[in-house]
Amino acid sequence: MPLRSAPLPRMAGHLSFMRSQTKAISDVGSGDLAVMGIPFEDTSAPHAGQSLAPRALRETSVYFGWHANPQFSHPVDIDARQDISTDGLHERLCDIGDIAPGSEGAIHAALKAATRQISDNGACAIILGGSDRMSETVQSALSHCQTAQLGCRPVDARDFHIAPLPNEGGTTCTLDPAAHRAAFCEWRDASKPLFVRFDLSVFETSLSALCDQPRLGGCDLETVVQWLELLGQHDVSAIMLTGLNPNRPGMGVVKVGQRLMVTALLAFIYARLGFGTDHPGSQNSKENVLT
Amino acid sequence: MTAAITTFHPPLAQPGYRLFDGPLQDVADAHADQIGVVGMPSDWTHSSRLGTRFGPDALRRATSLMQSLRPQGASFDPDTSRLTAPATDWLIDCGDAEITAQDVDATTEAIAAMTEALTVSGAIPLALGGDHYNSFPACLGYSRGLAKRAPNARFGYIQIDGHLDFSDRLGAWGSHNHATNARRISELPNIDVSNMVWVGIAGWVDGGDLALIEEQGGRVFSAGDVHKLGAAETMRQALAHAMKGCDELYLSIDIDAMDAGYLPGTGSIVHSGITPRQYYDLLDGLADAPLGGLDIVEVSPPLDPSERTEFLAAEMLFRILRRFRTRPVTGPVTEQ
Repeated sequence: MPLRSAPLPRMAGHLSFMRSQTKAISDVGSGDLAVMGIPFEDTSAPHAGQSLAPRALRETSVYFGWHANPQFSHPVDIDARQDISTDGLHERLCDIGDIAPGSEGAIHAALKAATRQISDNGACAIILGGSDRMSETVQSALSHCQTAQLGCRPVDARDFHIAPLPNEGGTTCTLDPAAHRAAFCEWRDASKPLFVRFDLSVFETSLSALCDQPRLGGCDLETVVQWLELLGQHDVSAIMLTGLNPNRPGMGVVKVGQRLMVTALLAFIYARLGFGTDHPGSQNSKENVLT
Repeated sequence: MTAAITTFHPPLAQPGYRLFDGPLQDVADAHADQIGVVGMPSDWTHSSRLGTRFGPDALRRATSLMQSLRPQGASFDPDTSRLTAPATDWLIDCGDAEITAQDVDATTEAIAAMTEALTVSGAIPLALGGDHYNSFPACLGYSRGLAKRAPNARFGYIQIDGHLDFSDRLGAWGSHNHATNARRISELPNIDVSNMVWVGIAGWVDGGDLALIEEQGGRVFSAGDVHKLGAAETMRQALAHAMKGCDELYLSIDIDAMDAGYLPGTGSIVHSGITPRQYYDLLDGLADAPLGGLDIVEVSPPLDPSERTEFLAAEMLFRILRRFRTRPVTGPVTEQ
């Protein structure tokens, strides 16, 4: 059921991710996608502003909230020339709000508890960061999890790295995509929870300019979309978006980074919900099909 | 006795900028085959990110600065292998239409009156947005002018854009806004939807709007089509479709078809992957098209602190107007 029956301007109304329903964390059920924000700064970051990212991501996501807007007939992927299914989107996508401010210890504890509860309920947490340092807290909530990382600096050789920032010989996205995806499927152990870190630095910097860790030779949108589509076909316990600083000096009006991340994240959401848009290069939508 | 010191000097040039540093003249002074510029500094009909009301000024400034960097007169244009011509030979800037905030009908008629007068005189109206709604009044005036100048003439329509803009209504903004301009144009008497073509559409579109276009014979090329077919071939097919049985072409250039990574200063950004090079190739494909009128819209300087958006858009105008701003070489040329 749509949230409302009359068209609403994008900037008006209650802000939730893609105009999804809001839920209490205790009501998140199996198969749900639960969005939560962590609006906190990394105090060692070169610029202040990461804490504004969750709100920026939610604001730009409203553009894609067609399932809750009765003035649209149905969305079509113009490149694939296919209807984008939204069946069940409203029922399974929900926004549970932000982790509340508090002492550092309390914030980490709340994030850990929330992530664990969502995972234990059989749902997937979509975490809107925020400081990427909090990814360690999310990892610690998912015992023995495997971590796939798009962008950012590699910290653990056991993780699977997709276009990491150069770091003493780290790989780049010039690897053959098919071989890289096959390597991922070989790496993946379906008996363990899967945590995905999606950092804005996976993209070529010239596409957004809103990343605190700029890089040359990053991926284009299509490549990231294909990866997130593949990852969405796996039983992901949590995906965390980091690296966006919507408030880089003088760049507060440039909304390109958040649009880039949400556009790519949609591929993950659709795949996770089993919609399978059959975008060129995509797999079918059954979970774990390649593992 | 001390002579009075004269402090008044006539200005060396007219204050402010005109497009391509051309002359400021009234629409009534336009004549055939001239480009007649009309500013539409209005963004009251945009539903989200504003700032395009500063677009006409930014385009005037950017084209003038870029013009000053390009040799004039008997010099060689490296892109066209033709001689450049001073703007005074082919363009007049008629200033801005009177914009009445929150009275869309008054604004529509003010813009349409200017483009109509230009069209009747045989000039080619070039309207500078403003948000994309203003494309409708610009085309409305062109349509009315064409009906007077050539009562049986038909025109084709190409819209380079990241979005269809073919909705009948948009939420609180009703039927006249930046998402309905193409729909309103499709209702004009001397055009048929089967002669309307969209190029560069990205992401998701409303399925009902797309079906309505294609059922009536309109054609939509997505950004993916541009990548697959190539910009030149895409525009070749687009032009052929738009001009079937038509006498003239109306072109609407929405800058937002270019990927927002290159061009963030616009109201409704998309990640189309379309590069500046591809966008210019699309426009080059229309260099010899029978243009009857055109507009360029959605330049929003406040949304791009780097100012590159207005210069990318200015280059679009250099491209599409190359037929006017250059002349064939008829004698020996000395490069300057």
